[in-house]
Amino acid sequence: MLAYAVRRLLFAIPTLLVISFIIFLILDLAPSDPTANLPLTIPQDVRQQIRLSLGLGEPMHVRYLKWLYQFAVNEPMHALEQLTGHHFSATPRVRVLSWQTRSPVVDLILQRLPQTLWVVGLSYVVGILIAIPIGIVSAVRQYSWFDQIGTFVSMVGYSVPTFFTGLLMIMLFSVHLGWLPSIYDTNLRVTDVASFWAQVKQMIMPVMVLALFNAAQISRYMRASMLENLTQDYVRTARAKGMREWVVVMVHVLRNSLIPVVTVIALGVPQIFGGAIITEQIFRVNGLGQLLITGIQGADIPLVQTLTFLFAALIVLFNLIADLLYGMLDPRIRYD
Amino acid sequence: MRLRHILTGASAAALMASAAHAERGADGQVNVLYYQAISIMTPYLSSGTKDIDGAALVLEPFARFDPDGHLVPYIAQEIPTLENGGISEDLKSITWKIKPDILWSDGTPVTAADAIFSWKYCTDPEGGCAQAPYYDDVTDVEAIDDKTVKVTFSVPKPYPYTAFVGAQSPIIQAKQFADCLGANAPSCTEANTMPIGTGPFRVTDFKANDVVTLEANPNYRDPAKPAFATLVLKGGGDAASAARAVLETGEFDYAWNAQVEPEILAQMAAAGKGEIISAFGTLLERLHVNQTDPAPALGEERSTVKHPHPFLTDPDVTKALSLAIDREILVETGYGEAGRPTCNLVPAPEYQNSPNNDWCLKQDLDQANKLLDDAGWAMGADGVRAKDGQRLSILYQTSVNSVRQAAQALIKQWWNEIGVEVELRQIDPAVFFGGDPGSPDTLQKFYADVEMYADNFEGTDAERYLGQWVCGEIPSPETAWQGGNTSRFCDPAYDAARAEMSTTTGDEDRAKMTIRLNDMIVNSAAIIPLIHRGRVSTKSKTLGGVEMNAFDSELWNVADWYRIK
Amino acid sequence: MLSAARAARQPLLSVSGLRMHFPIFKGLLRRQVGTVKAVDDVGFDIARGEVLGLVGESGCGKSTTGRAILRLYDITSGRIELEGEDIAPLSGAALRAVRPRMQMIFQDPQASLNPRMTVGSIIAEPLDEHLRPSRAERRARVFELMDAVGLARGFANRYPHEFSGGQRQRIGIARALALNPAFIVCDEPIAALDVSIQAQVVNLLEDLRAAFGLTYLFISHDLSMVRHLADRVAVMYLGKIVEIAPREALYRFPLHPYTEALISAVPEAGGRRRARIVLRGDVPSPLRPPSGCAFRTRCPKVFDRCHVETPPLTDLGRGRRAACHLVGRPPA
Repeated sequence: MLAYAVRRLLFAIPTLLVISFIIFLILDLAPSDPTANLPLTIPQDVRQQIRLSLGLGEPMHVRYLKWLYQFAVNEPMHALEQLTGHHFSATPRVRVLSWQTRSPVVDLILQRLPQTLWVVGLSYVVGILIAIPIGIVSAVRQYSWFDQIGTFVSMVGYSVPTFFTGLLMIMLFSVHLGWLPSIYDTNLRVTDVASFWAQVKQMIMPVMVLALFNAAQISRYMRASMLENLTQDYVRTARAKGMREWVVVMVHVLRNSLIPVVTVIALGVPQIFGGAIITEQIFRVNGLGQLLITGIQGADIPLVQTLTFLFAALIVLFNLIADLLYGMLDPRIRYD
Repeated sequence: MRLRHILTGASAAALMASAAHAERGADGQVNVLYYQAISIMTPYLSSGTKDIDGAALVLEPFARFDPDGHLVPYIAQEIPTLENGGISEDLKSITWKIKPDILWSDGTPVTAADAIFSWKYCTDPEGGCAQAPYYDDVTDVEAIDDKTVKVTFSVPKPYPYTAFVGAQSPIIQAKQFADCLGANAPSCTEANTMPIGTGPFRVTDFKANDVVTLEANPNYRDPAKPAFATLVLKGGGDAASAARAVLETGEFDYAWNAQVEPEILAQMAAAGKGEIISAFGTLLERLHVNQTDPAPALGEERSTVKHPHPFLTDPDVTKALSLAIDREILVETGYGEAGRPTCNLVPAPEYQNSPNNDWCLKQDLDQANKLLDDAGWAMGADGVRAKDGQRLSILYQTSVNSVRQAAQALIKQWWNEIGVEVELRQIDPAVFFGGDPGSPDTLQKFYADVEMYADNFEGTDAERYLGQWVCGEIPSPETAWQGGNTSRFCDPAYDAARAEMSTTTGDEDRAKMTIRLNDMIVNSAAIIPLIHRGRVSTKSKTLGGVEMNAFDSELWNVADWYRIK
Repeated sequence: MLSAARAARQPLLSVSGLRMHFPIFKGLLRRQVGTVKAVDDVGFDIARGEVLGLVGESGCGKSTTGRAILRLYDITSGRIELEGEDIAPLSGAALRAVRPRMQMIFQDPQASLNPRMTVGSIIAEPLDEHLRPSRAERRARVFELMDAVGLARGFANRYPHEFSGGQRQRIGIARALALNPAFIVCDEPIAALDVSIQAQVVNLLEDLRAAFGLTYLFISHDLSMVRHLADRVAVMYLGKIVEIAPREALYRFPLHPYTEALISAVPEAGGRRRARIVLRGDVPSPLRPPSGCAFRTRCPKVFDRCHVETPPLTDLGRGRRAACHLVGRPPA
């Protein structure tokens, strides 16, 4: 297993290099101009000057290699220097800088991570916690009222866009009832009970909106997987053994049904880091999703390139993790 | 003019009296929402309005514009004029005096060296300064003494209030930005996000594209201001929800740019927590009327001065088209508080808004029909007028935009009523405004009879803006389709008058000149002004002292804001 | 001794009037549109230590019968007396209490073993549930069972997928034996195995029967294997028993035309062949069984009465019963 993991990781390096180049190519070919959003009053020669100052005057391969060097060498070196306090060279390292904010992209990402992990990550966890029981009950009581309602709610949760549910919740809980804030305060530090409560209050709506969406998806996987296993012979065996129904469902069926669901869940984790662009916008959570969208709108190529590449790396990583998890959970699968 | 100055001063004094009991920081926190989040705290590296406004809380110029378009000294003691000797007789230099007691937020004094540095910073060829046009023609900035700065121009400048004036060209601290010149500018993250300034606030925490936290500047020149101890400048989301946060939930005190359908905004305001405020700058939604023939048959020569337009060069036709439009309805459907009808190319500030052209404000289809009848355009059997085999048929283009497309549909209907056939066309804004000489769909190429968009100019002086209408500014293949004269308007009399303006000095005379030039254009066949567009924001009913400003940053007088108790 | 003698006379399992009907739902509102009578009025006895073979084509309801008897279904009606106790109405805890006395060996040893449990825990699970043994007791019992079915003890920590089909069926058998059941339903236990392995497993079942005094209901479509193992044989067609008889009698003198057809397809020992009777057509849908005799659509000896009257399962003496209008009395 370890050898397999190491081999997969080594194979990931050329894959990621190709991905990073393709991302760069697409961003470069796309008609995006960092000065496009400037007011019409800014003359063309000033725009050209700005473009040159951003390094756009150089040929494409030079820009790509520069980015690659900054990202793959300078950024880790900088992190290392920050950690150890030891400076390996006297000249300051050129880090990947955002065009829009002129600050290092990696710092921006680190700044955004907490709220994204809290809100999007928690919504994923909440979504899973809601989805698994619903999936189990829906399968065990297939075609019951609970299952019908669960199916309906899942369809609604999956098909109704988050900007609609988000707006609905804001209208209800912020405008009419005034219970919850509609704007997420990223400055809030949890130091005592009051601030913890404030944090909980501002997280409820975005977390629930996303959790509903996630739960809808995962509960369907769970239900399907449970149904598939419920009809298996080993379930009949377990019943014939005289096991209690609870044990039959929760031990025999659930454990086997979780194998594909866990894989689906693992494959979904990179989405957390990708943030939830729309939900973050609605509640102004301003996490990684919002960072990416403002970067795209402002044609902030280094930011978009770095973020997209990190997402790609996470997807590759979590594909590997999903495969390894499968191997660990299902004794029938062995990697050599 | 002077009287107005005195009156503004008096009202400001009255305002100060009402808040005189207040002391710095007594009113706690004020929450400001910009749905486009702040990326950077210096206007030199960004020209987004949001970034300029954010920087205006911290960085100040020598002088700002007030809501009426008049200059108010900030770092400077007074506004230099010819009369007080601040402007040289040859109009080639201006001398600013810095207020003696003014300090940076770190406690050090502001000196002439800071102004000199700011000029060097923005004009460094490798720096990519977004506000470089503010320093056009500046050949030197020198210190007469520690507190006196002389700006020298290469040419006579009848209007020298560009460098160090307005939110776009503030003074930055030489000490803080010393290592940030030229190519190093972008990597000075600390200085770019937490600049040391002279404004009422200073940054305590900066989260790019998210939220900026500021506190009252302890060294601000007025010891009683600002009334707020902290200011939070939150970003993200969209315009509608930003307005909602002020008008309906009351979570925020001020929200920038309420670009929301007028009806929805009015509904939100009905909740009673806040109000809609607006200010009108120079932004004008207009129809450019092509004075050259865009017929595809002309090939390379379409829309060039070689082929005048078959019928749109007749001012009566343009006037008829203008009279057929009900601008009130366009405002109601698309702009609400953010628009008002106008017949002028330069609609603001008020002192240079021509009083001579209000004939277009009221729709008059009869008059429009009469004009066309008199000009010999006879109504055909198909409801389209024609003369000598030439049908009144117009191709009308604009950018993809719901408000513009709605206006386009309305105008088409009105024009149809006076016997004009209209074909509509919409172009992706990135292409339409992109200026790519290779694309046939740019507003400069103007391969249509009429096109609609909005344009404005920075500050209050219209000289440069009016300069776009001279013959030499007509886009053509020879200029790679660059140039601001999209209508292809060409009138030697106009060019002469425009040249006269470059030697005219003094606010009043320049205003008269602006009105004269404005009238020449709007009475020609080249333009149909439609809507004077303003900025609309929303503020809480508990927030006092807000004076919406369209000529400077909206947050220009944030030092005067206070909490109504 | 007397009670023991009575116990010997009393059948271990007595099934009567067993019906297992499945409702069929269709359409948008999932309305019930019909009933599949998978098992319809089935009855038989099995004496202690006896092996009853249950044969028939696939889909005839023989597996359902086995599962219904073990109460893996909630049966529609009928009596199932196990050692004198009717287990048909039981449910929940009471039903679980009788489960240790009756077990099942499944057709597909791969599917019937939980892929995520080791062999040891598969065998031990029912022990834990019903007997709550100590660790040592459990270990000893697991090893004892593994020895009994011929599995090396070292396999206890392995997963089912690591074994061959025959070995897996041994695991299934060990699991079934764990609680010392009196009665075991073998549901086509060899159908999924290679021919070379089938004999081994059948021999193992025979050995275990002798060693533990087991009683089997041996469900199979393989008539020669049934002949090898069973004491008596019941033949099912479309949810009903059409003939039941002691083994030799049935194989030598089949009474029901269907039995006759089935037997004719089996090569006899010694190479003698009898004339093969080929049945035409398919088994009718159990949703819409034919009127009268269910077999009449394919019966080579069909006549008018078969269309209107369902033949009852008639006792013909000497332990023989058959359901056919042609066999009113014992054959000559």
